[in-house]
Amino acid sequence: MTAFARRLAGKLAAGLVMVWVVVTFTFFLVHALPGKPGDVQYEQYIQSGMNAEQAAAKVKAIYGYTSHDSMLSQYGGYLGKLLHGDLGQSISYSGVPVSHLIWAALPWTVIPVLSGLLVSFLIGVTAGVVAAVRRSSRWGGLLTVSGSLFAGVPAFVLALLLLVVFHTEWNLLPDAGTSDIQYDPGWNLPYIGSVVQHAVLPVCAYALLSYGGWLLAMKSSVVSVLGDDFILASELRGIAPVTRARYIGRNAILPLFTVLALSFGVMFAGSFFIEDTFDYPGLGDLLLKSIGTRDYPVMAGAFLLITVSIIIANILADLCYTLIDPRVRR
Amino acid sequence: MSEVEVRDLTVEYQTSVGWLPAVAGASLDLRAGQITGLVGESGSGKSTLALSLLNAVPAPGRIAGGTIEVAGVGDLTRLGGKQLRKARGGAIGYVFQASQNSLNPLKTIGRQLLDLGRSHEVGDLRALIARAKDLANRMGLDGDRVLDSYQHELSGGMRQRVGIVFALVLNAKVLILDEPTTALDMLSQASVLDIVRKVHDENQLSTLIITHDIGAISEIADRLAVMYGGRIVEDGPLLEVLRRPTHPYTKALIGATARITGDVDGARALPGRPPDLTTVARAGCVFRDRCPFAVEVCAQTEPELHSFDSERRRACHVEPSTVLTGTTGTPAAVGEPA
Repeated sequence: MTAFARRLAGKLAAGLVMVWVVVTFTFFLVHALPGKPGDVQYEQYIQSGMNAEQAAAKVKAIYGYTSHDSMLSQYGGYLGKLLHGDLGQSISYSGVPVSHLIWAALPWTVIPVLSGLLVSFLIGVTAGVVAAVRRSSRWGGLLTVSGSLFAGVPAFVLALLLLVVFHTEWNLLPDAGTSDIQYDPGWNLPYIGSVVQHAVLPVCAYALLSYGGWLLAMKSSVVSVLGDDFILASELRGIAPVTRARYIGRNAILPLFTVLALSFGVMFAGSFFIEDTFDYPGLGDLLLKSIGTRDYPVMAGAFLLITVSIIIANILADLCYTLIDPRVRR
Repeated sequence: MSEVEVRDLTVEYQTSVGWLPAVAGASLDLRAGQITGLVGESGSGKSTLALSLLNAVPAPGRIAGGTIEVAGVGDLTRLGGKQLRKARGGAIGYVFQASQNSLNPLKTIGRQLLDLGRSHEVGDLRALIARAKDLANRMGLDGDRVLDSYQHELSGGMRQRVGIVFALVLNAKVLILDEPTTALDMLSQASVLDIVRKVHDENQLSTLIITHDIGAISEIADRLAVMYGGRIVEDGPLLEVLRRPTHPYTKALIGATARITGDVDGARALPGRPPDLTTVARAGCVFRDRCPFAVEVCAQTEPELHSFDSERRRACHVEPSTVLTGTTGTPAAVGEPA
């Protein structure tokens, strides 16, 4: 297991370097935007009667730097704050730390995304196996077409379609928010019931968004494993059908761990549209709003979090390989 | 006495122009205690014949006619489901080419042996593992180490031997090896053949070796069968067939074999190319287009495989003596088998 620990340490170190690269990139990207971040606030503070020192201190509290500092010391200030877990303060919600905003938004993205991933993984992989084994039948063909269809439809179209059918037409499910207003948030049944009800459409949207990818990936993987020599060999050795199915399944699902990590990223990207459509206060929604209001600290924080979660997902996928595939283990 | 009797076996594949035979009316015996070599060019139908011995012709193929009687099992073409599954591996062991990955890459050899035992409802799995280790040790492998290994940790020659362990661990009496020496270097080839001969003798098997390497097979086989265009065109005791080939194709095949000693130019390539499913002749002899001895009747009637000299069979219209002494396609001297 020491090899595993060494591998884990290596991955984490590489992950940290990647995070640093992204942080640096984001910092300079935000600086490249027209209208230096902080300048607008600085002017506002001056106009509201502060003296230059006070205004600069206030801006520094928000960003960790002011635009009067040199680029390098601005960057140093930003990194220094980041190392202490301080992402700065929001501009549009004056004085609220960015980390609070992100923590509040995080569960509304992570839980639906993970639920959607789980549902679509189970259904998509099962359908992929069927589509592969029955690929010359009508059902297999239909499944494959459904996979291509859902893999091709953009997130916002899918979300709008769900909204039109299940809210506007049939009025089965609510169209916006995380719960009905009359319930007290907390661990009580009516509130949780309302939350679940509101989460159904976003979760369905996430699930449908990635279902096609799972199906197509699993289908091609199973088809290629079915053609492998050892599957024919196991048949010629009289291996029981259940055991052979396990051989096929375990070999076919391997490449899907890469897809899992990638689809985590795709889901976050999809969350902009899905949360916007269902007015769901998750990370995507937060980021979208912060872009609208030029809330640079929130923007940088949300970017950072999305990047970090994708990097972590990739590390987890790599580690899964070492646990499952003896050829990668060393 | 024959362990396996194949009679009038026809195997067809579905193509765009209908069902076409890859094996047409083949009859072959695998005699108890003997090694039979089955030779022929690529596409002659020898692998299809081998797979049909397990009733495992892959789609879109099917056994269209004939019987395959296996001692203690019955007609394999009539078996299905669990009975067929148990016959595969239980009565007949099949060994893949060394270059093929015939093992699950994600499981150790030992665990796959347990899968095999459970699939065949072996009661004493410990004894099965012990037998597997013993077989491996006898073939010059370290049984303990090999059973703990994954496929990717073994060399081609080792995989080949592990394949033989899998084929024999359930006490199968019939062993089929598909191109056992292909993709191995000369030394590994020789050692694999030695090992095959050894396990064959020790376990009193009936063995079929499919190959296109007539030189390799002449080292260990007792009998030789020659296939062309889905037909068995000649068979008999190995030495007699090699020394006195009575079918023009056999003679040409022997003549095309390059030897380590002597000039490469001594080997003579067969003119033309072997037929495939769509180009094989529908009437007359399937070899006539490439045959230096072809006469008029060859285009009209297909020669039947008939016995002569008590132990031998041939399917040719031309007299054996004509083929043997004919000036065209003179075979180089055949090396004495060891």
